[in-house]
Amino acid sequence: MLAGRAPPGAAGCCRRLLAATLAAGLRPLLRGPPPCWATARRAAGQWPSPGLRVPEAAEAERLVQQVQQTSVAVRRFIACPRLARTVQRCLQSGASPGSPPVLLECEPGPGVLTRTLLNAGVRVVALESNPAFLPNLQSLENSLDGQLKVIYGDFCRLDPLVTGTLKPPAICSEKLFETMGVAAVPWRADSPVKIFGILPQSKERLRLWRHLFALYECSSIYRYGRAELNVFISEKEYKVLTGKPGNASAYQAITVLFQLGCEIQLLHMEPWSSFLTNSKNGGLAIPKSVRLPNDHLCLVRLTPQQNLFTGGLNPTNSAIFIFMVKQCLAKPKSRLIDRLNSWSLDNSSQLLRELEIPENAQTRNVYPEDYKRLFEALQNTNIFTETWWHDEIFETVRNINL
Amino acid sequence: MSLLRAVLPGPGRLRGAGIPWSILRSYSSASAKEKAKRNATCERTELLEVLKARVKQLQATNVPEVTVNKVELAPVGNEKYQDPLQKVVARREEGESPARPSSWVQKLKEEMHIQKLKMGQTSPIAASELALEAEVEDKAKDKVKGKAKDKKSLKTPKTKVVAAWSQSHAGSHGVHGKPTVAAVKAGVKVPRRRVLDDKESSQFKILQQTVQSNLECFLFLQQPEEAERFLLMYHRSPAKRKLLNVSAYNVVMRSWARKGRLQRINRLFSMLERAGLRPNLDSYAAALECMGRNPFSTKAIWRFMQQLKHDGFHVDELFQKCLFEEDEKEKVLKAIRMIHPNYELPPAPSSQTCNSSLLQDFYSKEKMLPYPKLDFSAQELRECFQKQLELEMNNTITIESVESSKPLTPQALKARKLLATLRSQWHDSVLQALQKSKHNMSKLKTASKYNVLYPYLCLLPEDEYVGIMLEMLNTLSPQGESLAVLAKELGSKVYNRYITQRKLHSGQLEKLREVYEDYIQLLAKDSQPAKYLPREYWEKLVAEAGFGPSLTLKSCSWSYMLLMRLGMHMLELLVQAVKMPRNILNPRLEPRLIPALYHIYSFRSSWQVGLIKPHPVFSQIMSDAAETMLTFNSSAIPMLCPPVPWTSPNFGAFVLNDTTLMRFVDGAVQHQLLLEQCPLVNLHPVLDALNQLGNCAWKINQPVLDIIISIFNDKGNEKLDIPPPISEAPMPPAAPSNPSSLNKAQKHELLLYKKKAAEMHSLRMDALYKLSIANYVRDKVFWFPHNMDFRGRTYPCPPYFNHLGNDVTRAILLFAEGRPLGPKGLDWLKIHLINLTGLKKNNSLQERLEYANEIMEEILDSADHPLTGRKWWMNTDEPWQALACCMEVAKASRSPDPAAYISHFPVHQDGSCNGLQHYAALGRDLIGAISVNLMPCSVPQDVYSAVARQVEELRKKDAEHGVKIAQVLQGFISRKVVKQTVMTVVYGVTRYGGRLQMEKRLKEIDDFPEEYLWEASHYLVKQVFNGIKEMFSATRDIQNWLTESAKLIAQSGRTVEWVTPLGLPIVQPYYRSKSTVLNCSMQNLSVKSTSSNQKPDTVKQKNAFPPNFIHSLDSTHMMLTALHCLRQGLTFVSVHDCYWTHALTVDVMNEVCRQQFVALHSEKILQDLSEFMLEKYCSPDRETRAPWQKKLMEQLSNVPKTGELDLKNVMDSTYFFS
Repeated sequence: MLAGRAPPGAAGCCRRLLAATLAAGLRPLLRGPPPCWATARRAAGQWPSPGLRVPEAAEAERLVQQVQQTSVAVRRFIACPRLARTVQRCLQSGASPGSPPVLLECEPGPGVLTRTLLNAGVRVVALESNPAFLPNLQSLENSLDGQLKVIYGDFCRLDPLVTGTLKPPAICSEKLFETMGVAAVPWRADSPVKIFGILPQSKERLRLWRHLFALYECSSIYRYGRAELNVFISEKEYKVLTGKPGNASAYQAITVLFQLGCEIQLLHMEPWSSFLTNSKNGGLAIPKSVRLPNDHLCLVRLTPQQNLFTGGLNPTNSAIFIFMVKQCLAKPKSRLIDRLNSWSLDNSSQLLRELEIPENAQTRNVYPEDYKRLFEALQNTNIFTETWWHDEIFETVRNINL
Repeated sequence: MSLLRAVLPGPGRLRGAGIPWSILRSYSSASAKEKAKRNATCERTELLEVLKARVKQLQATNVPEVTVNKVELAPVGNEKYQDPLQKVVARREEGESPARPSSWVQKLKEEMHIQKLKMGQTSPIAASELALEAEVEDKAKDKVKGKAKDKKSLKTPKTKVVAAWSQSHAGSHGVHGKPTVAAVKAGVKVPRRRVLDDKESSQFKILQQTVQSNLECFLFLQQPEEAERFLLMYHRSPAKRKLLNVSAYNVVMRSWARKGRLQRINRLFSMLERAGLRPNLDSYAAALECMGRNPFSTKAIWRFMQQLKHDGFHVDELFQKCLFEEDEKEKVLKAIRMIHPNYELPPAPSSQTCNSSLLQDFYSKEKMLPYPKLDFSAQELRECFQKQLELEMNNTITIESVESSKPLTPQALKARKLLATLRSQWHDSVLQALQKSKHNMSKLKTASKYNVLYPYLCLLPEDEYVGIMLEMLNTLSPQGESLAVLAKELGSKVYNRYITQRKLHSGQLEKLREVYEDYIQLLAKDSQPAKYLPREYWEKLVAEAGFGPSLTLKSCSWSYMLLMRLGMHMLELLVQAVKMPRNILNPRLEPRLIPALYHIYSFRSSWQVGLIKPHPVFSQIMSDAAETMLTFNSSAIPMLCPPVPWTSPNFGAFVLNDTTLMRFVDGAVQHQLLLEQCPLVNLHPVLDALNQLGNCAWKINQPVLDIIISIFNDKGNEKLDIPPPISEAPMPPAAPSNPSSLNKAQKHELLLYKKKAAEMHSLRMDALYKLSIANYVRDKVFWFPHNMDFRGRTYPCPPYFNHLGNDVTRAILLFAEGRPLGPKGLDWLKIHLINLTGLKKNNSLQERLEYANEIMEEILDSADHPLTGRKWWMNTDEPWQALACCMEVAKASRSPDPAAYISHFPVHQDGSCNGLQHYAALGRDLIGAISVNLMPCSVPQDVYSAVARQVEELRKKDAEHGVKIAQVLQGFISRKVVKQTVMTVVYGVTRYGGRLQMEKRLKEIDDFPEEYLWEASHYLVKQVFNGIKEMFSATRDIQNWLTESAKLIAQSGRTVEWVTPLGLPIVQPYYRSKSTVLNCSMQNLSVKSTSSNQKPDTVKQKNAFPPNFIHSLDSTHMMLTALHCLRQGLTFVSVHDCYWTHALTVDVMNEVCRQQFVALHSEKILQDLSEFMLEKYCSPDRETRAPWQKKLMEQLSNVPKTGELDLKNVMDSTYFFS
């Protein structure tokens, strides 16, 4: 875990820059680094830097304001070149030689990060849901030699469960991956694609749940292997994802499932104010948080665990596992044994003894690994096959997905 | 510091070498407070010093001692089972990381825990809260107290240090990963004291109510010692004492008075004084009662009498205002006569008469007619009363369902036998569990450990509690039910039985029976006619018998929280106790007991609901057994005798079952308070109207019922609205052997099937209940007692089977009283039949009659061969009522003299778009009035077509101007498209909602281009609103005025209140909901509570005002019609804006209905409303300076202008109600 620390005053810097540009008018922008740098990188399997001009924060802001009318939901953008560089470095950090060749950037908007990434030699696929941003991105695409690909689509509406024809910007992962030119790889192989995005805060938790279900079912993007997700999420959600057993406010069902499902790396923390929003009044629209700190957006890397589907867990029965964990942690102060007993299990204390879980443990004190072991042990009993679990599981899956 | 860091896990390690459980525990409590301590850095250094010292001190402590301490301290945590856990942890630590000096940290943590709990205990309020909160916490605290004493030496460091420690943990857990000095931001957290000075807080009120009802339990149980002990518990603590008011002391006095213990009462009087309270009439009544029971010296009586006068009371008031139970009154009288031998009871207060201008005629003694008689002798009615009384004394009734006629299968026999065995086992185990829990509670006698539920579990015989719990098992649906619903049901059942018991014990029932037997004289055919209304007659009888107000039970209802808590406790007992062998259905399984009920959470996007579900094995047995007995609460059955007349908001309807005059949502008490504050005379018209509706006698239309039951027991018929049995459901998709292997489509299909099955089950059960009750009363005459909702709309009390039901239930109801058809009766029957078919809506009455005569052959065929003939009736709007009407028409037309034919058949007259009628009349909108039939016309007008025409015109104009969407919509605008929106405009539909409705309608049109849906619906709703605005110009103004006024009132922090023209006070019960968490061991329940001091929900107050106001007007119109129909000797009932009477009297009813509409709207309704609200919300003594106050005043005074309509025209409008 890289407990990253926010670079001091990144936000302040952005604001200063902004003020400066506004005061002095737009100065001619610098070109990218010299070409010799690019050739060096090309040798390492990367693209040469196209040396694109990265728009200044104020320019990006104007661009966003122009398209404001057409979008409804609050979106956040990276407008400050410096923040873009930080993110770019984070994304490229820890990249091994076998790291995925393509980066899917969701909702690039004014394209500040896109250009920064391109300049750093990354092959980018940009998935943009707002048609108003498309022309700009497309002309950028045309000016390059295949290093950028622009797709009209909404990552948040990837593979919707509703039946019938997909209406853009809803998009299905099959088409997306085909366009990206990414083929499916086995689960244990390295991740086939890197994805970057800023998770919208409306229904943030639900979106995370959706990902979780996709991950455990190996559906959607996870059908192609262990897709590596790099997302900005609110700090409070980050705290929940990384909550420790026993932590009353942070340790929840989603915590257990995410910690088992993914390696969670904190790459960077950035104050809310560093991001540009499209809200009409210019407000930051920071979601409220009572018990957990929520001063930042956290760039988190979620890499699915290679060993997730070992033991008794597999994509077909994972919904039961998810449901089991949710049942246990619905009342975190209840005792695990009481929960087990209420599922018509008569030998629960023996079971817990075998698993070396204290018999009186409260469900919020049980480690994620122990939940997995518990599930594996329960599979040998017949409680999952005795009818009554099924309806509930269906309901749960459905409620989450819709 | 570094030591500390080593112990705390880095954020990246999930598990590592094992983090001690206890650390995690306190870790959590620390981090939660992290945010609260951000400022106050001045103490930082000072704290650091203390911390360092403390670390040193602790390091010096040797390990063995610590270990001992740890075990000793283990139970300190908030649950008893933490002990073994700690041991395990200790083992883990030793095994996995022996070198780590973590134990002192742990000790410190635990100490911190102690400190926190101690702090909690020093706050007296926290303790008093526990009266409601779980007793578990109390236990913990007490233990802590005990343990902590031994550890004085360790306790010396102040709370500050502890707080600081917790802070440092929190900091280290955070972003920076280092517990730096900066992270130790000081800020000692003082336990937040909840100030209870505010006696209006809802929490306070609930507590107060709970104390009161607890004391009443003891009074009921005749345990004065317990009552006093409980009272003292509160009286002695200065903080808790605030919860006691005079009536709390009075309850204890009354329980001593019953035993004749004067010293105790004297003591309570002095306690009252010490508490700064003044005795009231009830206190003196209790004292005098006591002295009446035991002959004391007259001196004591003198003293009390003296004091009574000194406090400004009069002896007579005792008998006028106090509610006496049992022989209390006689004893008080006896005491008084000991010193005033000639004292006579004060005369009953002369009854007042309502002076509403609308009812001057109605209440004038000169024009009064004798009350209409029923077709029963006094003796028969007495027998009816006896039957009803027996029914209610049993609380529940078990009847045969209509399915019982089906033959029994061997499988069912076997399952029933099995169930019987299980039930007797369950009875024993539930009884045992109940006894055990009561026993455990009874041992807790001290103040802090006291369990509030205990007295409530003693009120009834234990078997009754068990019965209530087991009853629930029979009705639980296989899909399960939410805990909250079940808990409330269980709690209220106990409450209702307790009330019944109290009525029996207090002698109230005997008094009621006495009065009722005389009351029968008013109704019986063999007694003298009397010129009284039922209410007046009842009041007269009560006064004559000298019962005074004592017929009403002095009762304090249980708070909603208490009901839930009690219900949850019973539910927990039930879930724990009810077990069955797992191998019942599958003998191959190993035999062992499994719970028959289980608790499971269901997840709905972001929230979760706890459900209780029956185990599938249990559901299977239940469905195999196909039991045909149904158990209902006695209030679900229509009454078998005329209802007790409403005489006050607390008295009327059923004999024993507790019924409120006004229905209210859970926990809302505002209505009841408002009604009680209101002078009783103002409520007379409303009470009389309800009595009139309730006094209508009914019987069953047996031939129709038989046909319906035959279809129901066969395969049902969805088209005819007879729900088919589950066996008729489409087969489920192939049974999955391994459900996880299903693909998405299969899962979806399965889910749809389950949903359909659940839906069918609930529809089927609903119909089963209705038909079974109808079948049960098939040979009887019965009555529906009525009450009303907060707007005055009336409803029959029995919930399943009543005349407000669907087509099926309405078709099986007939008036018990028969009247000859008279000259026009047969025609009315025919017209009614055509109305029921939904045909000929736009034709005149004459044309409808002609049409009926044309198709007479079809009608007769339907009547004679309903299931085998041409089945004309089946293709009508309301087939069952149409069939019933066909039969009536057939019988009447075949009788030798149709005019003399005695008909029991109700004929309906419907208001056409009644809401808009009231609006149009309020605003005197001429065009609008024509379109809703307020003006005489030769054919009925249809407002929906009128609006559609209007919209079409607007569209044409727009289309000519090249508006794209108007062109697209060409040919799509019809009556059907606009109908729903027009209808709901009255009820305050917004543009948003209207657009959704439009979209739905347009979607139904196949060839409407989908891509224009949004735009078209948006355009249409705009035009509909414009169209209505043009037709009903004043209506819109009135609506806006009402909305805006409500908004300003709500924004000023008050709820919208008004008074109907009949004098009924109304308050809108919409508040910003506040939920309280009920901690129960099975699950925490979040209970929404509403109370008068909560802030109003502005949006709801504002949006709901116009429709609620209109509803209060339509209910007023109905009540006026009901009362005046009574004066004309008519049978009258209503389904809101649909009025029913005999065919003979349709014309009279129509006239009364029109007259009353004109009379009602001739009142200055809006002016009166404006004046009322001005006085209520802008009274001059409040600070008028505030700008909002001025704005509100302006708004309220600015009554919208009205149009030109002459209301008198309504009198001649045939289609006003038709």
